[in-house]
Amino acid sequence: MPRILTIIVAGLLSAVPFTAMAQVNVFACEPEWAALAEEIGGAKIKTFSATHARQDPHYIRARPSLIAKVRRADLIICSGAELEVGWLPILLQKARPQVQPNGIGHLMASQYVPLLGAGANVDRSMGHVHAAGNPHIHLNPHHMVSIAAQVSDRLAKIDRANAAHYQSRLQDFTQRWQQALAQWETRATNLKGAQVVVHHSSLSYLIDWLQMRTVASLEPKPGIPPTTSHLESLLQQLNAAPANLMLRTPYEPDTASLWLSSKTNIPAVVLPYTIDGAANTGDLFALYEATLAVLLDKCRC
Amino acid sequence: MFKIKTAASAALIAVLSASPALAADADVNALRNEVEKMRQAYEQRINQLEAKLNQLEGNRAQVGTTANTPPATSRRRIADNSFNPSIGMILNGQFRQYSQSESEMPGFAVSHEGERGEEGLGLGHSEISLSANVDDKFLASSTLAIAEHEGETETELEEAYIQTLPGAGLPVGMSVKAGRAFWTLGYLNEHHSHADDFADRPLPYRVFMNHAYNDDGLQVSYLLPTDGYAEIGGGVYRGDDFPYGGNSGSGSGAWSAYARIGGDIGDNQSWRVGAYMLSGEAEGGRVSNEETVTFTGDSDLEIIDLRYTWAPTGNARDREVIVQAEYFQREEDGVYTADPGVVEATVNGKSDDGWYLQGVYKFAPQWRVGARYSELSSDATPTDLIGTDLDSEGHDPEVLSLMVDWTNSEFSRVRLQLNREDLSGGETDEQAVLQYVMSIGAHGAHKY
Repeated sequence: MPRILTIIVAGLLSAVPFTAMAQVNVFACEPEWAALAEEIGGAKIKTFSATHARQDPHYIRARPSLIAKVRRADLIICSGAELEVGWLPILLQKARPQVQPNGIGHLMASQYVPLLGAGANVDRSMGHVHAAGNPHIHLNPHHMVSIAAQVSDRLAKIDRANAAHYQSRLQDFTQRWQQALAQWETRATNLKGAQVVVHHSSLSYLIDWLQMRTVASLEPKPGIPPTTSHLESLLQQLNAAPANLMLRTPYEPDTASLWLSSKTNIPAVVLPYTIDGAANTGDLFALYEATLAVLLDKCRC
Repeated sequence: MFKIKTAASAALIAVLSASPALAADADVNALRNEVEKMRQAYEQRINQLEAKLNQLEGNRAQVGTTANTPPATSRRRIADNSFNPSIGMILNGQFRQYSQSESEMPGFAVSHEGERGEEGLGLGHSEISLSANVDDKFLASSTLAIAEHEGETETELEEAYIQTLPGAGLPVGMSVKAGRAFWTLGYLNEHHSHADDFADRPLPYRVFMNHAYNDDGLQVSYLLPTDGYAEIGGGVYRGDDFPYGGNSGSGSGAWSAYARIGGDIGDNQSWRVGAYMLSGEAEGGRVSNEETVTFTGDSDLEIIDLRYTWAPTGNARDREVIVQAEYFQREEDGVYTADPGVVEATVNGKSDDGWYLQGVYKFAPQWRVGARYSELSSDATPTDLIGTDLDSEGHDPEVLSLMVDWTNSEFSRVRLQLNREDLSGGETDEQAVLQYVMSIGAHGAHKY
């Protein structure tokens, strides 16, 4: 018998049989959805986030570990709107029918909120544009309310025995969230009208919520890294009409932002963007607190 | 609309109250009462309508959360054409320059996909692919490759397969693929060559698989329900594609089996290793070396592959290291005929092997550099074959490749590659390849 067959058999035997677990397995494509699921599910669920704050969610490899996690998932929560189109389909190939598109365990958050930039007529010469609309929806806190209701609803259907648990945690979360939201909006009034330079359209919903204005983007076209000529033209533009802030996420490279900041004296600010994108951003409440704190601190507005 | 009416009635009151005091007080009072009545009636009506609206909105929200299937809010098309097949095309152009006019690899049975590409400007494989879900249980996909070979345009059906979808009722994690496909066998085989990190395939693929093994057949794979990644699978094939050939369909053909495991190391590193085997019979004869060599008999291939990726900054888009290696061993029992009808030799347990190791470093979001070393070693030449194409003269072919590529977006890439090929122990062939790979239309997600 060939050696390779022996190895294959050994591989088979080493695979420990899966024993059913009481907890609902939730696979989140991004950390913000894992955090939201934890708010609703508490101890009744086990969450796993495919990405962390320093990873660009557009460009994730369909790693072996992710394939294994999705195979065992009861519910997957992703941003949708084509954000994960480069890797999620591979992960789903060997997963359960219920987490496939249109299944009860397949939750694409962007389907439940109004999208910015949707319906535009696009082609690839315009860069990495999502025809379905901008998928970075989690930075408008109003969206969390309707998505949380969906998470609770899906969990209740997947795990009927604990439906009341999910319902009551949803109520509790929604109430605390609405209170916090009102406070954030009061605190953020100064930011209204602030002019910001962004790296990519990753922060559009935050800017939209706080009624700030995007005046320039470091990427000449979405998904195309900043070029020298583009930065030169931005420098002229910003010298003529200065902006208040230059924003980027932890996963976007700092070079272009720091260079332009040093030339224009516009503060270059890294926002946490998602869970654990900065210190003390372990849950959704803390994420928004930290985001507002850094914006209010750095914005001379 | 009712708000407008309230405003209008308020305005009416204002106008009336400002009207000249010439009218009698009684008239004014009567009018005021009339207007007051109107206002109350309107306000009542507005309140009723608002209550009704609230009730309807409440109902709608309830419908949204109690329906057993997800609400049909996906009016947007997601990712591709849902009903029409996704259509994609890969364009691959090359300019190649060689220092040697001939390239021979003595000691090995090499077929035409395994030879070096044609010199000068030219098109590599242009691929057209179509894929779609057939229904709730099956997916169908096909890839047509168009290539020039010795002045003629050849069309090759690279892939044409159906695959079961997770809704097909098989156990979770199991999938069946049937038809013609780049079967799971080593790392590179299941990938289309446009996704490779180098402009050509490493030596073991060129020699042992004639670029890739895409025989007609059926493969079953099963992802084990373990916490870490573990997958097993196997298939049966017609036995018509290199390293087999000429199968009448009545014989045993070929079969394969594989197992692989993988996982993460911390947040930013991941790996996968696999072991594969392919066993079969070249029943009607495998023709190679410009049709001067034929092999009839059993040919078994064992492969081990390793892939490791590391994103030093956490973000693979920004910076990434990829290390990949594969080892091949082939054992053959049968009859080699070289220079047709001239020399015939029976081999028993002829064992050839080969391996490659490559590293690619992405140092900026659009720029990567890479190096690859590949080597082959053939078994001692059977006495009867000395002096033929299968006589290695004790030399082990080796190739060193260096490449740099620029990726404008995930749909376009331009690459420069330099090869130093020492295949025959004679003169070294210095090669330069300039290549572009562009994709339009639908482009499936890439495997790990």
